[in-house]
Amino acid sequence: MATTNATITINSDIMSYSGSVSTTMTMKKFGSTVGVEETTGLQVKKFNSASAVKIVDNTEGTAGKGSKVYIRNTGSSTTDFFYVALANGAAASDSTETIGRLYGGDWMLMPWIATAATTHDIHVAPSTTSTMTLEYMVFQE
Amino acid sequence: MATTTATVSITSADLVPGMPVSINASSTLYQTGTTTGLELVEMGRGTLTEASGADALADALGTADTTNWVYICNKSTNVEQYMIIGIHETVLGYLGSEEWMWIPWNMGDSDAEINIEAEASGDIDYEYAIYRSTNTLPAKT
Repeated sequence: MATTNATITINSDIMSYSGSVSTTMTMKKFGSTVGVEETTGLQVKKFNSASAVKIVDNTEGTAGKGSKVYIRNTGSSTTDFFYVALANGAAASDSTETIGRLYGGDWMLMPWIATAATTHDIHVAPSTTSTMTLEYMVFQE
Repeated sequence: MATTTATVSITSADLVPGMPVSINASSTLYQTGTTTGLELVEMGRGTLTEASGADALADALGTADTTNWVYICNKSTNVEQYMIIGIHETVLGYLGSEEWMWIPWNMGDSDAEINIEAEASGDIDYEYAIYRSTNTLPAKT
């Protein structure tokens, strides 16, 4: 069994008292104490078009289980970003469903149900035609 | 101006044989498309009851299509207890016991609420933090 740990630390002075977060998880198989044992590996892709692109197909996860997806915009721009979405919209408002924006340096780690359908493909759409780079990795059972 | 940073470390010595996984990333949370730090936060802890079905952790109150961030942690230590995480009608994934997630949330439209649901039985304690660019308080009744 493999052991994969992920730690998040959030430090903030928004409030006048401590609002920090620090949590470590071990990525486990769904409903189990056994760690996830498969990964796509870390992938890096450059984009120079504002068109939506599928980066993870639903078949790359285990349907209905405990997959995780890490995505990071490796750039430094505070004005250019990627939309991240399920299905193929990846637009500002998309009912199927746009999740959010990743500006330069932003990262996300989300659970992914990987339902065996195109509704759970993961798409991104750059906000610019300037070159931007994304790194991403899927952890699955 | 407030400063909020989110840092992640993902490590595994044995997920990929012969190639240890080591991902480290840090980002500063800015208001939409600026270098001004986010200044709105909501943090809390709650208990979900399996019998209650899905609940909205946060409504999309504020300016649509902006920079916002969501942290959720399933505090249950029972591996059979998981949270279903969704945006409006779309399920993103299952958050297992002692697992956390960190996602951007652009609040693409007024229906893009964050939903959480407890499965498969009993009560689940959870923690959350939501960092927003804008927020509109609910209307007085």
